[in-house]
Amino acid sequence: MQGSEQSFLSHIAKILGRDKPLTSAPNRDEVGPPVFWKEQKFDINQPLAFFKTNLENLTGKVYLAKDDQDASQQIRIWLEELEAKRVIMWDHEELRKIVHLEDANVQLDYWSQGRPQAELIIAAEKADVGITWADYAIGYTGTLALFSSPTQGRSVSSLPTVHIAVFRKENLVPTMSTVMENLMERRSTQNVPAAIDFITGPSRTSDIEMDLSIGVHGPVKVWTIVIEQGGNVQYQNGMREEVPMEKDEVLYT
Amino acid sequence: MSHKPNLHLRDRARKAIKDEPMRKAVQKAVDRLSGNREKAQTELPNWDDWREQGKRIRKHTVDHLDYYLGQLSESVRNKGGHIHFAQTAEEARRVIIDICKKNNGKLVAKSKSMVTEEIHLNPALEKEGMEVIETDLAEYILQLAGETPSHIIVPAIHKNRYQIAELFSKVAGKTIEPDTPALTAFARQTLRQKFMQADIGITGCNFAIADTGAISLVTNEGNARLTASLPKVLISVMGMERVLPTFDDLEVILSLLPRHATGQKLTSYISVVNAPRKVNEKDGAEEFHLVIVDNGRSRLLADEEFRQALHCTRCGACFNVCPVYRQIGGHAYGSVYGGPIGAVITPFLEDDFDFWGELSYATTLCAACSSVCSVKIPLHDLLIKIRRKRIELGFTHPLERVGFNMWRRFFKFPGRYKFAMKMASIGQIPLVKDGYIRSGPPPLSGWTDSRYLPAAAKKTFREIWQEKYE
Repeated sequence: MQGSEQSFLSHIAKILGRDKPLTSAPNRDEVGPPVFWKEQKFDINQPLAFFKTNLENLTGKVYLAKDDQDASQQIRIWLEELEAKRVIMWDHEELRKIVHLEDANVQLDYWSQGRPQAELIIAAEKADVGITWADYAIGYTGTLALFSSPTQGRSVSSLPTVHIAVFRKENLVPTMSTVMENLMERRSTQNVPAAIDFITGPSRTSDIEMDLSIGVHGPVKVWTIVIEQGGNVQYQNGMREEVPMEKDEVLYT
Repeated sequence: MSHKPNLHLRDRARKAIKDEPMRKAVQKAVDRLSGNREKAQTELPNWDDWREQGKRIRKHTVDHLDYYLGQLSESVRNKGGHIHFAQTAEEARRVIIDICKKNNGKLVAKSKSMVTEEIHLNPALEKEGMEVIETDLAEYILQLAGETPSHIIVPAIHKNRYQIAELFSKVAGKTIEPDTPALTAFARQTLRQKFMQADIGITGCNFAIADTGAISLVTNEGNARLTASLPKVLISVMGMERVLPTFDDLEVILSLLPRHATGQKLTSYISVVNAPRKVNEKDGAEEFHLVIVDNGRSRLLADEEFRQALHCTRCGACFNVCPVYRQIGGHAYGSVYGGPIGAVITPFLEDDFDFWGELSYATTLCAACSSVCSVKIPLHDLLIKIRRKRIELGFTHPLERVGFNMWRRFFKFPGRYKFAMKMASIGQIPLVKDGYIRSGPPPLSGWTDSRYLPAAAKKTFREIWQEKYE
């Protein structure tokens, strides 16, 4: 293919008035979103309020959990409500802490490294509920951002009938900009995940007579649990010490 | 391989105008989509700044396409993917067929891709003995019906639920009820099985990120996600202009595209696929091929006036406001890409200004398309320029040329013009009734067949002016 690539690029270069294809980065005046967007400031509570409104508008649910225990309980309530028989979950440290279903009548599979691929995909396909830990949640659009990894299979959020995503309030960001910044940082260290999935509500289509229909391929429901308690709370001499925060607003860049 | 319709634009439009159910469906769809876009416009601050920024980014990228495609190619190869460049549709088909064969592909799951429509990929794969299944609900319906998309965002709007139920019932071997939930459920079940069996996944590419080698797929159904994550081999096919420099730039396009297309803040799924999968990952394609297709795009690139048509994000906003599209729907355009943007790019893609240049008349030049374009392409302006090109190339009707020559001869000189108007107001007398000419002999009938022609006034403006002010 080397030859055809060269002639393809040379052809384009010639059309653009160059002798040979440009190999050093061209100068740019403008990169990414408009300046006002990058410079805006958000109230500390704005992302959560936005996230809730936006996702609920798309038939999603947002449960605000005080702490891990509260989240743990809510998951059990929801699984009961959904009459879930089979659940598949990312093999994620935080989720392992929170989700306890040993005494519930539920078959729980972990998307873990040790298991064969075919087994995992079938488990995900048969699962009523898939549980993930969102890497980011975006307030402005009501979006979850999931990064794939050996323990964070994509099928867990795409194949089951219901997707439940859990995350801490500190993972909530006002706009997509923060996620993109993170991806660009990862790019410089060759660490961009194989899949970044932005999920905004359930799978939907209006292909039949512009009639909205939910769950054509992916999950029918997208429910989320936001844990207010931080993950990096530090304990000193047995006393809980809050991580200091700006008074009214915080600047995300 | 050319797929030229047998009828000319005028006859295709005539046929479409008679299809009342199709026109109703199209009007309902475009009104809904446009209404949603207008609402989204009020919700995103500084809408116009975003469009302007989108335009700048697209212009910069297209103006340096050699660099960004080179960078993209390197990024894909660096992470273990394969990259292919195809100058023509035939080359693209051959590359894709070779990959499928090498992997012993039997069942190909496809998610929506206009480029693969453009290169007529499905029949070529089927000819090689492969089963190809379209997984976007609308595309699946069209595949069963043996039809082509009629709208870039909602491809099957011309089909109603009864027609769809009939198609699905045939596949199911039993009656599927003509209501949306039943139809959707049937599609979910049937297509899910196909996903689990498919050995090759083929997707389009909304935009690739040059510095990473990732591609982005924008969908509501999530079928592209499954297409890109379940089969072992993933082939993504992209038009050569569909690249952006960085993730930062993607944010801008993602802020514009769904809002302009359907009024959504974001579509349900934006899948950024940075294939192939990493070591120890248990889903996602193991083998990744990116096929970059020219197929006539370099002719657009070479024309400095028309290069900007490559900035297009394929949001379809121009379809939804076009008074012509509204009346005739997508099929009357006869081309893979319909609507205003299709009318602009098709003569270049097909390298045929004679036949395809006709599409430049499928417009009222009202400029609604340009005013809503997500990256501010002056579409109506480009349509006039295509007309100009057709005249320069001598493709207009001889009678039209004679007519305009005559017009020029009279219009140039006040005396002659005055004389001609006088003659017209006398000549029209047998034809005028209540101030209008309702029918007339050719070439006048070209106008009067579809609307009344106002009669020339008894007194000309010049005469009135003279009487009153001189």
